[in-house]
Amino acid sequence: MRGFRFVIAAGFLAVIGAPTGAAPPGSFNAIASAGDNESIGMALARRQIARGETVDALATLERVIILHPQSMAARLLHAGVLCLADDRQGSLIEFERLRGYSFSKAQWAEATAPCRARTGG
Amino acid sequence: MASIKPRRWALGCGAAVALALSAAALAAPNDVGVASAIAGDVRVQNNGAKQAHQAVLREHLALADRVSTGARSQLQVLLLDKSVFTVGANARLTIDRFVYDAKGSSVSASVAKGAFRFLSGGRGHAGAGSSIKTPVATIGIRGTIIDGVVGPEAVAIARGENKVPAGLAVDPAVATLVVLRGPGALARGNVTPGAITVTAGGTTVELDQPLLAVFVPARGAEPIGPFKISLPGLGRLNDLILPRTAANLPGGGAMPYYPPGTGGRLDPFDPFSDPNGPGGPNERPGGPGYTIPGVPIPPTRPAPNPGAVPAPQAAPAGAPGAAAPQDSVPPPVGGKPPRGN
Repeated sequence: MRGFRFVIAAGFLAVIGAPTGAAPPGSFNAIASAGDNESIGMALARRQIARGETVDALATLERVIILHPQSMAARLLHAGVLCLADDRQGSLIEFERLRGYSFSKAQWAEATAPCRARTGG
Repeated sequence: MASIKPRRWALGCGAAVALALSAAALAAPNDVGVASAIAGDVRVQNNGAKQAHQAVLREHLALADRVSTGARSQLQVLLLDKSVFTVGANARLTIDRFVYDAKGSSVSASVAKGAFRFLSGGRGHAGAGSSIKTPVATIGIRGTIIDGVVGPEAVAIARGENKVPAGLAVDPAVATLVVLRGPGALARGNVTPGAITVTAGGTTVELDQPLLAVFVPARGAEPIGPFKISLPGLGRLNDLILPRTAANLPGGGAMPYYPPGTGGRLDPFDPFSDPNGPGGPNERPGGPGYTIPGVPIPPTRPAPNPGAVPAPQAAPAGAPGAAAPQDSVPPPVGGKPPRGN
């Protein structure tokens, strides 16, 4: 009977206790919902960049930017990922527009690193 | 035996629950993806439905569902293969065909109007046969990032491009501008350099380098191009795809001003320099905005703080967003969009 109760409890918890955000990392649902939270979305984008999933990182950051249009940090990172995709002109436009904001040196350095690697600058 | 029956029953229940959960997690047969980001007025008319309904975040989208956006609205559709469509304001998008299995994926979509961006999913390997149709052209996709716009905005951008003849007969309702954004040959990561074909009027043009563009002015017309789109044109197209985002930028999303003689280069020193670092534009003579002599940009703002929305700045005369001089970039079509949500 203990096994019976365990299975019922597990099933009950699975049905009512699984929040949308509890999707396994990397799953479709996790990717689709990552943009809901700016920090989670940017963290996912950084992991995608590290894995070489450049286009997916762009998509993730666009998702964050649409849902959080005030997120200049996401825009800055997005500008840098454009360089990773060899879209240097698109990146230039984004960086130029973001110059009116004061980012930390670390933020700016992280975002521009792909562009500098490209130019050797 | 009596002690075994409940266990069997329990295991059966557990299996049933697991199956039910798995089935719920799987997409319905015609599902192609979800509305992964929504801003503003976005509506979905399901195939066969008489009326459209307001889209909700992560709503499942199926084949032949017609998705439309209102003014100052944006939508991102995440397809099951992780390809992404992003559409801007007043756009109409339909996913006509979608194949996704262990061998790969391919998608066919229609954009009747508005600005759009397509990002190939996974590692950028959009399958053979993927395409996007507009009223005047068919775009063949090969692992790619594409921007495009259908309608009067396409005409407005094209008229600013040197390669598009002046006085060209156009149909503003259906004219289409397509730009290959990448990935370029120097892209890093698990990506395939992008390439597309644009077929219109019985002629096919191939675009295989970032920023190459074609313009199809009317039904039955051949593509004009390929030509390299200008920075202002690219910026305007980007603003059409992400209109609400552009509204949060300095100048309300208007393009930076490109002084004659700069060759389109935005910063004559180092375009990627830290604006607040040694030698950065904010520390050079003239301070912030020095990179564009005579055209001030908004002053330095506080470090980004999630949740905090920077206050908009009125554009001074001659600045981005203000009345443009002859050789500057005109403001976006439709004027300055309101900011924020």
